[in-house]
Amino acid sequence: MYAYVIRRLFSGLVMLIVMSFATFLMFFNGAVDPVRYTCGKACGVPGVLERNRAMLGYDDPVPVQYAKFVKGVFVGRDFPDDPALRKSAPETIARCDAPCLGYSPKENSTVTSMLAERAPISASLAVAAFIMWIAFGVGGGIVAALYKGRWPDKLIVGTALIFYAFPTFFIGLFLYKFVAIKWELTPQPVYTAFTEDPVAWAMGLFLPGLTLALFYIAGYIRLTRSYVIEAASEDYLRTAKAKGLDKRTILWKHTMRSALTPLITLAALDFAGLLGGAIITETVFNYQGLGKLAVDAATTWDLPVTVGIVLTLSTIVILANIIVDVLYAVIDPRVKLA
Amino acid sequence: MNRTKASSVIALSAVAVLGLSACGGGTTGNNNGDTGATGGAATAGGDLLYLTKRPAEHLDPQRMYIGRDIFTTGRTVYRSLFQFPAGEKDATKAQTPIPDIATEVPTSSDGKTWTVTLKEGVKWQDGKDVVCEDFKYGVSRAFAYDVLDGGPFQYPTQYLDIPKDKDGSPAYKGPYSKKGQALFDKAVTCKGNEITYKFNKPWGDFPLAVAGLRVFDPYREDQDKGAKNNFVIFSNGPYKLDGTWTKGKGGKFVRNDQYDPKTDEGTRQANPDTITFEEGVDESIITDRIVAGAGNDANAITDRVVRPPSYSKVEPLKDQTTLVDSPYVFYLVPNMSRVKDVNVRKALATATDNEGWVGALGGDKAAVAATSIINPSLPGFQENPIFSKIPAAGDPAAAKKILTDAGVKMPYPIKLTYQGGDPTLDKAMGVIKEGWDKAGFKTSLDPLTETYYDIVNKPNNDSDVFQGGWGSDYPSAATVIPLLFDSRQLSASQVGNNYGQYKNKAVDQAIDKAALITDPIKAGEAYSAIDKTISEDYGYIPNYIQRFYFIRGKNVTGYEQTEATSMFADLGTVGVK
Repeated sequence: MYAYVIRRLFSGLVMLIVMSFATFLMFFNGAVDPVRYTCGKACGVPGVLERNRAMLGYDDPVPVQYAKFVKGVFVGRDFPDDPALRKSAPETIARCDAPCLGYSPKENSTVTSMLAERAPISASLAVAAFIMWIAFGVGGGIVAALYKGRWPDKLIVGTALIFYAFPTFFIGLFLYKFVAIKWELTPQPVYTAFTEDPVAWAMGLFLPGLTLALFYIAGYIRLTRSYVIEAASEDYLRTAKAKGLDKRTILWKHTMRSALTPLITLAALDFAGLLGGAIITETVFNYQGLGKLAVDAATTWDLPVTVGIVLTLSTIVILANIIVDVLYAVIDPRVKLA
Repeated sequence: MNRTKASSVIALSAVAVLGLSACGGGTTGNNNGDTGATGGAATAGGDLLYLTKRPAEHLDPQRMYIGRDIFTTGRTVYRSLFQFPAGEKDATKAQTPIPDIATEVPTSSDGKTWTVTLKEGVKWQDGKDVVCEDFKYGVSRAFAYDVLDGGPFQYPTQYLDIPKDKDGSPAYKGPYSKKGQALFDKAVTCKGNEITYKFNKPWGDFPLAVAGLRVFDPYREDQDKGAKNNFVIFSNGPYKLDGTWTKGKGGKFVRNDQYDPKTDEGTRQANPDTITFEEGVDESIITDRIVAGAGNDANAITDRVVRPPSYSKVEPLKDQTTLVDSPYVFYLVPNMSRVKDVNVRKALATATDNEGWVGALGGDKAAVAATSIINPSLPGFQENPIFSKIPAAGDPAAAKKILTDAGVKMPYPIKLTYQGGDPTLDKAMGVIKEGWDKAGFKTSLDPLTETYYDIVNKPNNDSDVFQGGWGSDYPSAATVIPLLFDSRQLSASQVGNNYGQYKNKAVDQAIDKAALITDPIKAGEAYSAIDKTISEDYGYIPNYIQRFYFIRGKNVTGYEQTEATSMFADLGTVGVK
């Protein structure tokens, strides 16, 4: 088991290195000059672009910039990296401690601090949505399976499909504009940190979480339903039933154990994906999470932030995959660690 | 001014442009009758809510370049030497500087040396006096534009009498490196409560620039942490920031107990007890929230225009809406290095359907056809005799005749490059194409996204016409014509803001002469004359002026939009019930 985990971690590390370099190459060799975003109209003033480019370190060859980036990940960096300025005006230097993912001149902030500020918002949203979709998705799927072919099954699956058919932005805008603003059924969704006010935190997450959850619920209902039905038809369960085991034990101890394995994989990956931010939902509800940060960075050509987010999300997904693989083996002993 | 940065954004993003609802230059006859509804006399107290989609990029005074932010902070947390009067309905007076921290608005006999005397008793939020050295330090920060990027640093760095290095940049590099500090200390001097600025050429617009930008604002050296202070506000105005400002979320202003209204000229009424800024809210959500008016949304104002899909919701609330012209003029620019025949350019201008364009944008609540690159609200503006003769809907038949008479082979291929990505803009460009094609052109639309600005800045690009948008940096055409058409900004590697690569020595010379005129009206007339010369060359084609259709909450009082704040809601007069 330990050897397996170490192997997976090593391969994940290699993937991250390759991905970081590719991302760096792609973004820093693009058709857009990011320095233009530092001066607007005044870019036409002689020497401005060159001076700003030098201050940001964008005049270095990409491999040199990448080497500095990697160095920053391990030992941290100073921005601007100007020894003369550090000596004459140290208060103006922004220190980016390891693991430093760069510095955004547009936001005047280190990428890691921006990610750290935004991550709790996306994580909160992911947790809220996860709880809702697991509760209603898996629960609904089990009920649908138990009433296979009867009206509860049709009602649950049909209703879920209706929500699944609508795009997330539509559901989000509908909930925001009608449920919160027009009908005033809920408070307007505003993010409050859990540490500030847990109740406001939960209330604020309700509509955005529901928006996300409604998209996932339909899929989970159908999957859970089919897994449960499939598992229930296994020979060993028929045997258990024939031996007189009660229905509850058959369902929760035997059927669900078998049906849960693929669901855990899917749920973990979906949850990991959401940790990286829900772009549409965060944009609709103006939640300043990682998804909104990613959109803003991409649309304003904020390359350091874009690179930082890509790497962070990659890390999350890779780690989630490793965890899922390990969990697989724990839940289902039939899975071998190759 | 602030109009300014918005224009740069415009240049960078036409999409953003259409979403911009910055300033406005409402002029006589341009309002729809809604303007002037103030919601009743304002009284002190209450909590004002400021809803916006667009986050402030900078709150550091030397880095601010967006009109909305310049005037919002200017009425609340930042004071300068001069200001524009609040609530002034007369456009000329509204754009005439009055004293703020200065005892008076001085004059300069040669336009090169300006001495300003400071009032006593103006304090920072920690109780220390605002002194001459704070002003001197503030403007010195503009020279560190590599550390503090984004601001209108070109004005102090180009005008202050400081030698230039070989690359054209000032020999003084700002207060952080202190390179060339002695040179700066000669150009800006303090003597007691008098500060003197020495310029290398006459600058009659200096008071306008001070009142219309924040780059000459004071800054406390002991509070300076360079770029790290981007969202730090150290106030000397009637409000101060409560806690921190979070980009995309906003912040809250509360009263500053160190502010003494006796030191002000009475323009900052500072009515609300608190002002909460909520950023990142979508335009349609803002409209819906204000229409619904629940809770604090009834106390809300915004800088975002009502978009066409929401017109029907807003129309019943006439006493809560205003419609004014913005200071932003949009235009098309023929690439002079490719479209060399003036008859072809004339035919393009003649066939341009600005009326159809306005319709595509949403009608007269969204825009109005323009007849000049100079906004009519600017002092000294005179009607453009060339473009005002062309019907707003264009005249493709007349344009075809121009091409025929000139012996131009038709169809004449035209590549129209613009910043795409917005269906509304694509639709509007389709209107332009239709008119041009009727006249004998074969127009190909070339929508670009993020690469737009990089492409148009290449002197050897293969586009025939570009789209641009511009607003003056402060109320003077001196921040329009020279910046867009002075050929001396062209180089082998970039075109600056002169996208069409327009070159006319007579225009360059006239720009130099106009710069020496200190009377703002006469200067405006001189720039209008230059505009006429450029129009005779068809160096640009006026397109439209964006309009600001704003809604405010039902509890908002003392609501004013004037040229003094570039048609943004004036926080100096506003209150809530």
